[in-house]
Amino acid sequence: MNKSFPRRVGIPRAISYYNNYPFYLGFFNSLGIEVILSDKTTTKIINEGAKYVVSDTCLPIKVYVGHVVNLLDKGCECIFVPSIQSTGYKINNCSKIRGLPEIIRNVIDREFTMIEPTLDKTENIGLNDFCIETALAFGITNKKEIKKAVQKGFELYDNFFKMTQAGLPYHEALDNAVNGRYVNKTADIVKPLSVVIMGHGYNLFDERISLDIIKKLEKMDVKVYTSLNVSREDALNAIENLDEIQYWANELELTGTAAHFLNNRKVDGIIALSAFGCGPDSLMVDEIAYHCKEKNMPLIHLTIDEHTGEAGFITRLEAFVDMLMRKKRAMISKKSQAVVRTDEIITLKKEKMFTSAVK
Amino acid sequence: MKAAEKYEKNKMENKIPAKDRIIAWPRMGRIDIPLKALLVSLGAKVVIPPANSNEALELGVRNSIEGICLPYKLNLANYIMSLDKGANTLMMFQAPGSCRLGNYTKMAQKTLKSMGYDFDMVIFDMYKSKMKQTLHAFWHVTHCINPYRYYKGFSLGFNKFFAIDTAERLLFYTRPRELHKGDAEKCYEKWLKITDETNSVLGAKRLKKRIIEDFKKIPIDRNKEVPVIYLIGEFFVLLDPYTNQNIEKELGEMGVEVQRQIMFGDWLEHVLKPSLFYRKESHRERSVRYSKDYMKRAIGGECIETIGDTVYAAKHGIDGVIHISPFSCMPEIVAQNILPKVSREEDIPVMSLVLDEQTGKAGYITRIEAFVDLVKRKKRLRKK
Repeated sequence: MNKSFPRRVGIPRAISYYNNYPFYLGFFNSLGIEVILSDKTTTKIINEGAKYVVSDTCLPIKVYVGHVVNLLDKGCECIFVPSIQSTGYKINNCSKIRGLPEIIRNVIDREFTMIEPTLDKTENIGLNDFCIETALAFGITNKKEIKKAVQKGFELYDNFFKMTQAGLPYHEALDNAVNGRYVNKTADIVKPLSVVIMGHGYNLFDERISLDIIKKLEKMDVKVYTSLNVSREDALNAIENLDEIQYWANELELTGTAAHFLNNRKVDGIIALSAFGCGPDSLMVDEIAYHCKEKNMPLIHLTIDEHTGEAGFITRLEAFVDMLMRKKRAMISKKSQAVVRTDEIITLKKEKMFTSAVK
Repeated sequence: MKAAEKYEKNKMENKIPAKDRIIAWPRMGRIDIPLKALLVSLGAKVVIPPANSNEALELGVRNSIEGICLPYKLNLANYIMSLDKGANTLMMFQAPGSCRLGNYTKMAQKTLKSMGYDFDMVIFDMYKSKMKQTLHAFWHVTHCINPYRYYKGFSLGFNKFFAIDTAERLLFYTRPRELHKGDAEKCYEKWLKITDETNSVLGAKRLKKRIIEDFKKIPIDRNKEVPVIYLIGEFFVLLDPYTNQNIEKELGEMGVEVQRQIMFGDWLEHVLKPSLFYRKESHRERSVRYSKDYMKRAIGGECIETIGDTVYAAKHGIDGVIHISPFSCMPEIVAQNILPKVSREEDIPVMSLVLDEQTGKAGYITRIEAFVDLVKRKKRLRKK
């Protein structure tokens, strides 16, 4: 084998890492390529990333650039930057995610190899071509080997997916999947309140970006549902039930998830978490807000950027949870009142019937 | 795919009978003149919303969400204003697969219905079989079956588009060179009026020639040193003089010739003509060719055109590039990130201006003045 091909690849811990990492890991390991991850997001990484891009860029992209710089500082010379253009016919991603390789190439002025496969189903470039393009960058052209790697990737990904569907927290599930374990543990804890968070995986599961919102809510005795608890079919059906169509590639994570819980009314409220200046979010949150108003469901829209202060964030969350609690209490007491009232009516009617019969 | 089918049906609503329709569409630059000619010759009644202004913007901002981009806010204001003036059918084109534009109509429909308006929305995709879609949309709103009228309408519309583009190009050329200030502007306004009033196919075909002849009569200083600046960026902002605060006029009065690569007529010709008959290299193909070193794929919106035009400008001796975009426009943010490198490697001055409803005119002019000074100095140095 030619020695000039890289044998190690760096994956930034941002954007597509959060949804697809088990697949990437299985794929690369099966091809015999070592995977290096960047460190967890810290304020230093965000600041480092913000130095390279213009100020209008949204937080997740700044974080991504920060992670790429972190990998380069670690001595990794080959970085995996996929461009996921569309995940279905006419179902496109946000321009910034589509153009990730273009941003990285032009913004970072250092010597490194970038592996930039494209996934574009509108132009008929499917996952198979995506994997072949990736493998080609490492000098692997054997189709059988690639097919095996794809299978291996899906194996890990399926494990991860099943575990999250069963209700395992994200980081636990990821840890198990990466180590090749499958834990079958249904953890359906009942709590007084439950909410669903609609947000991109890369915002929600990054502990620094989301300011650990899931743990904070769980501390307040609130059960949290996320996009991981909803299967693809359910999300698609839910969008259909609201008479909407899927326009964005990551719409299932946001509108789909929220719509699913809006339809089955399993939750008491919806929290929308989005980065400042996010284009798709501004529309999707508005869409859900419109339906929430129709169906009388509380919703709070939390916007985050690199300057978000933790204190103000907690205050808003607490206020929202308090409001939900008060609403639920009022609803329960109203329900019991309503029961009494119908009883009265029935007895009254009975009396009337009785008196008329006597007459 | 129940919802999708329903959505397809929703795109061309059919509640109002064709003869009662009063049609309106959002404003963008001077698009109202040719479209009016087209629809009127198909026998439709039209309403033209008032020009974009602070009042319109305020109306749009009040009724739309915070995070959406500026063009949507103005479009919504146009819809509201024309519905108030009596319109009952709204037309809009959309190009899915680019950016937020594909969602505009869906949102506007919802917002306007919740505001209590009753209307029909007619949307046509500029994605596949464009000519068929366009014809279908115009048939849908007018129910006109006379082919001569279609011929007349489209011929009037296209020729008016080309006439306006020609007048605009000549205005950009003449304005910095004119001897008496204001001549070119007056001539342009005059021809816009004549273009609007022209009603015969032959007259419309001769417009272009007459405009060129008339502009030639304006006395200009041919030996004046005039730096040339390219204006690039987002489609709507480039074409709408209110949104870009009339940047072309400001630059022209500072003694700079403006060149704009995106002209509505050219764009329309490229979009509507079947690719078999379109022999020239389109703007997009040229952009892809020139931006090869910086971008390997199109990412939606006008990002690749922005980069391609900048490289093209550098290779063809243009003195500077001004890039304008609305706030939080996704494709243009990517372009903004790439432009510094292009500027450095191709050695061409580039300035990015971000516009939103809060943009102050004074600060904006100061930045443009500083940039023009820089371009002029650079030009002088190069000559020595």
